[in-house]
Amino acid sequence: MTGTAPSGAAASGIRLPRALMLALPLVLIAVVGALAPWLAPASPSATDLSASLEGPSTSHWLGTDQLGRDQLSRIVFAARTSLSVAAVVMTLAFVVGVTIGAVGAFAGGIVDRLVTWAVEAALSVPSLLLALAIIGIRGNSVPNLILALTIVAWAPYARIARGAVLGYRRSAASEALVGLGAHPLRVLFGHVIPTASRPALVFASTDVGAVVLATAGLSFLGLGITPPTPEWGQMLVESRPYLATAWWLWLPPGVAITVVALSGNLLSEHLGVAPELRRLRIRRPRPTPSTSPKRGRAQTAAKTGRPVPLWEMRDLRVDFDTPDGPVAAVRGLDYTLDRGEVLAIVGESGSGKTVSCLAPLGLAGDRAAVRGSARLAGTELVGAGEDTLRAVRGAEIAVVFQNPYAALNPLRRVGALVADGLRPPAKGHQARERVVELLRAAGLPHPEDVADRYPHELSGGMRQRVLVAAALAGDPDIVVADEPTTALDATTQAEVIELLRRLQRERGLALVLVSHDLGVVAHLADRVLVMHDGVAVEEIAADQLPNATHPRTRDLLDAVPRLPETRAGTRATTRSTEARC
Amino acid sequence: MTRADTAGQTARTERARGVGLVGRALIRHLGSAVVVLLVVTFAAFALVRATPGNSATSIAVRQAGAGATQEQIDRIRDELHLDDSLVVQYGAWLSRAVTGDLGRSERTGRPVAEEIADRLPRTLFLAGGSAVLAILLGLGAGIVSAVVRRGPLPGLLRLGALLGASVPPFWLAFVLIAFLSERLHLLPTSGQSGPASWVMPWLVLAVPAGAIISRVVAVALADALAQPYVGAARARGRSTWSVVWRDALPNAVGSTLHVTALQVGMILTGTVIVETVFAWPGLGAWFVDAVKFRDNWSILAAVLVFAIGFVLITRLADLLQVAGDPRLRREETP
Repeated sequence: MTGTAPSGAAASGIRLPRALMLALPLVLIAVVGALAPWLAPASPSATDLSASLEGPSTSHWLGTDQLGRDQLSRIVFAARTSLSVAAVVMTLAFVVGVTIGAVGAFAGGIVDRLVTWAVEAALSVPSLLLALAIIGIRGNSVPNLILALTIVAWAPYARIARGAVLGYRRSAASEALVGLGAHPLRVLFGHVIPTASRPALVFASTDVGAVVLATAGLSFLGLGITPPTPEWGQMLVESRPYLATAWWLWLPPGVAITVVALSGNLLSEHLGVAPELRRLRIRRPRPTPSTSPKRGRAQTAAKTGRPVPLWEMRDLRVDFDTPDGPVAAVRGLDYTLDRGEVLAIVGESGSGKTVSCLAPLGLAGDRAAVRGSARLAGTELVGAGEDTLRAVRGAEIAVVFQNPYAALNPLRRVGALVADGLRPPAKGHQARERVVELLRAAGLPHPEDVADRYPHELSGGMRQRVLVAAALAGDPDIVVADEPTTALDATTQAEVIELLRRLQRERGLALVLVSHDLGVVAHLADRVLVMHDGVAVEEIAADQLPNATHPRTRDLLDAVPRLPETRAGTRATTRSTEARC
Repeated sequence: MTRADTAGQTARTERARGVGLVGRALIRHLGSAVVVLLVVTFAAFALVRATPGNSATSIAVRQAGAGATQEQIDRIRDELHLDDSLVVQYGAWLSRAVTGDLGRSERTGRPVAEEIADRLPRTLFLAGGSAVLAILLGLGAGIVSAVVRRGPLPGLLRLGALLGASVPPFWLAFVLIAFLSERLHLLPTSGQSGPASWVMPWLVLAVPAGAIISRVVAVALADALAQPYVGAARARGRSTWSVVWRDALPNAVGSTLHVTALQVGMILTGTVIVETVFAWPGLGAWFVDAVKFRDNWSILAAVLVFAIGFVLITRLADLLQVAGDPRLRREETP
C-alpha cells in the first residue's frame, strides 16, 4: 500500500526502446531475407555433387547439404521465403480481421452478435487442424497455404479491433462527431478504422513468430512450401537422414525458427502483460546482524529489572525496495503499548502508519526492509526468522484488515477461514464449536449458518465481523485493526467500532487502531499517535486532543466535521449507537 | 420455526441449487459445443464441394483409376447426393456420421470409422501422457517461479519457459533424437516398444505446452499472492506453503484453467507432427497421409474427431472453473 513507487509511469517511459530491442532479431532476419540475393554467398539451388555433405569451412561457412548446395545461402533465402509468406498472411489477416471487427462494433446489433460468434468459433478450433484440413481439401500449393494460414489468423485481429472500436464508440470524441453531423462513412474511415488498427498492429508484431512457426510446421509435414524453394521447416525434413552425421544441416534452421518465435514471444510478453503483473526485481535485504532474535521473555525481563512493556517500538525504520531505489516509509518510530491499552495511530495516507504495524510482523511484503527494534514482551521481532514471526502472528498479535471484501479468500467457507487461526489448533466438532462461539462473540446473527457461508454471501459489515472473529481465534494479546471501518458505511462503521471496544474491554486486549479519521478513533483510544511522513509528530492522551498544538494534528482535527465544538456531543452519539447494538 | 432454522434452510437449498446450476451450465456448454462442431464440419464440407476435382467422375478416377465405369460414377453420385443442394449433401453425411458411418477412405477403401477406431487409442495414449506431463511441468515451474522470489531460479525458469514456448516441436524432436538416440543410444527413434519409446514423443509435445502453462500459472499465482486474503491468512500464523496451497493456488488455478485446456488441445492436434516424426501409428500421422492424398472423407472425419476432442477439453475446463468457484456458481443464475 504505502511506499510502492509508481512503477507504471517509469515502465511506460522505457517501453518503446525495449520493445524495439526485443524486435531486433525479427528485424535483422527480415533485412537479411530481403537482401538475400546480395548477401548470400551462392545460389540456394546451385548443386555440386562433388562437394556434398561437407562440414563448415571457409568456402562454405555452414557446410553443404546432400546435393552440395551451400547451407548458409539456403538459410538466408529461406528467411526470405518465411517472411514473405508471413508478410502476405499477416497483411490479409490484418485487413480482413480489422474490417470484420470494426464493422461488427460499428454496426452493432445482430451484425455484431454474428461477428462475436464467428470470432469465438474460429478461436475455439485448433489452428493446425484447420490449416491442415484446408490444404488437404484444396490441394497443396502456396496460394492455398496462404489461404489456410489467413483463415487461421484473422480472428484475434477482429476481436482486438472490435474491442477498440467499442471503446471508441463510448468515448466523448465519437459522440461529438455524431453530434456535429459527420457522415457515418467519414467517421468509419477517418476515425473508427484508425482506432481499430493501432492495437491490432501491436498484436501483429507479436504474431509474426506464430505465422513463421506455422509455415515451418506445415512445410515440415510436406505441405506448404515444397522443394526446391528453400524454407526452414522443409530444410529440416531433408536433414532427417543426417541427424547423426551432419549437425550443420539440422541445427541452423531450427535455431532460426526458434529465434523468430522467441522474438515474437518476448514482444508479446513485453507488450501484452499488464505492468502490475510483471514481476519486479525483488530482494529482501539481509537482516541486520546486530539484532538477533531473542527467545525467553522472562530472561530478558530479569536482566533489565524493569517491567517489560507488552509491545515496544524503538527507532523502527522501514524502507521499500523499488525500481527507483529505496523509499523510506517509516523513518524512526518509537512507542510502547501495555496490556489492555488502546493506542490510535492516525495520519494521512502514505504516512507509514499501516506499514509500521505490519512490517515488524513480516507482513509488509518482500520489498520491505525493517530496521531498528520492535519487541513483543521483550522478544525482538526485527531480524527474527520466519518461524518466530509465524508463531507470533495470530497467537500474540492478530490483524484485522482494512478491506473486508478482499481480505477473505472467496473460495473458502467462513467457518474454515476462522478455524485456520485457532490456537491451539483444532479439528472437526471441537473446531466447529469454537468457530461458532467466536462468530457469536463477533456479534454475527445465526453463527451456525454464517460458518457455512462463502464470503460473497455476506454484507460488508458481516465480513468485517468475520475478520474480527478470525483475529480472535488465536487468542492474541494485541489486535492491530488497520482502518477497520474505511470500507464500510457510516452506520456499520459505528457498529464495528463498538464491537472492537466491547471485545477489547471483555478480553483485556491491547488494541492498535490505525486510521486516518480522528473522529472514528478518538473516543476509543487512550492515547493517540499522530504520524506524518514516516515519523510520529505528536503523541498525546486522547482527552488532551482538543489542546493539541502540532499543525499536523490540527489538520486532522479540522478534517473531522464539527469535532472541536461538540466533543461531548460525539461521545453522546456513540453512546446512542452502543445502546442500539 | 426460529430465524436460524430458516436461514440454515436457505443455505441448504441454495447449495442444492448450486449443483443444479452446474448441471445447467453443463447443458449450455454442451449445446454451444455442438453448434461449434456443426459449423466447423459444415465449413469443411462446403470447402470440399466448392473445390474443383471432387466431382463424381474424378472421385471414381481416384478410386478405380482411368478405367472407371459410368456405373461406378453414378453410384458415387448417388451415394454422395451430388445432384442435391449442399445442405442436403451435408445432412446426408451428418446423419450417417451420427450413426458411426463416416464413409470409405478413398485411399485404402476401408471404412473411415474403422481406421479411426484402430488409431484413436494410440493417439489418446500419446496426447494423454503428454498432457499429464505438461500440466505437472507447468504447475511445478509456475509455482516455483511465483513463490521463490530470490536467487537466479525464477529468472532461469522464466527464460526456460519462453524458450520452451518458442522451440518448434519438430525441431525439438530432432535435437532429442540427435543426442539421446544417435549419440548416446539411450532411446529408440520410433516405435512403441515400451516406456523408453514413449519418453521423447511425450516430452516433445509436453515442453511447449508446459512452458506456456508455467507462465500463466506464475502470473496468476503471483497475482493471487498479492491479494489481501493471502496477507490476512499469513497474519493468522499460517506458513507460506500452506497459504500457497490452500489460499493462493486454488484462486490462481481458476484463471489458468482456460489456457491449460487450450494447451492440452494443442497437444492433441500436435500429435499430427509428433506422430509423423516418431513414426507413431496414430490418428495424427493418418490425418497427414489423408491430407497428402486429398482423401476427403478421411479429412472430414479427422476434422470432426479432433474438433470434438478440442471442444470437449476446453468446455470441460470452463465447467470446472464454474464448479470450483462459489461466486461463479451464483452468477450462473439467470
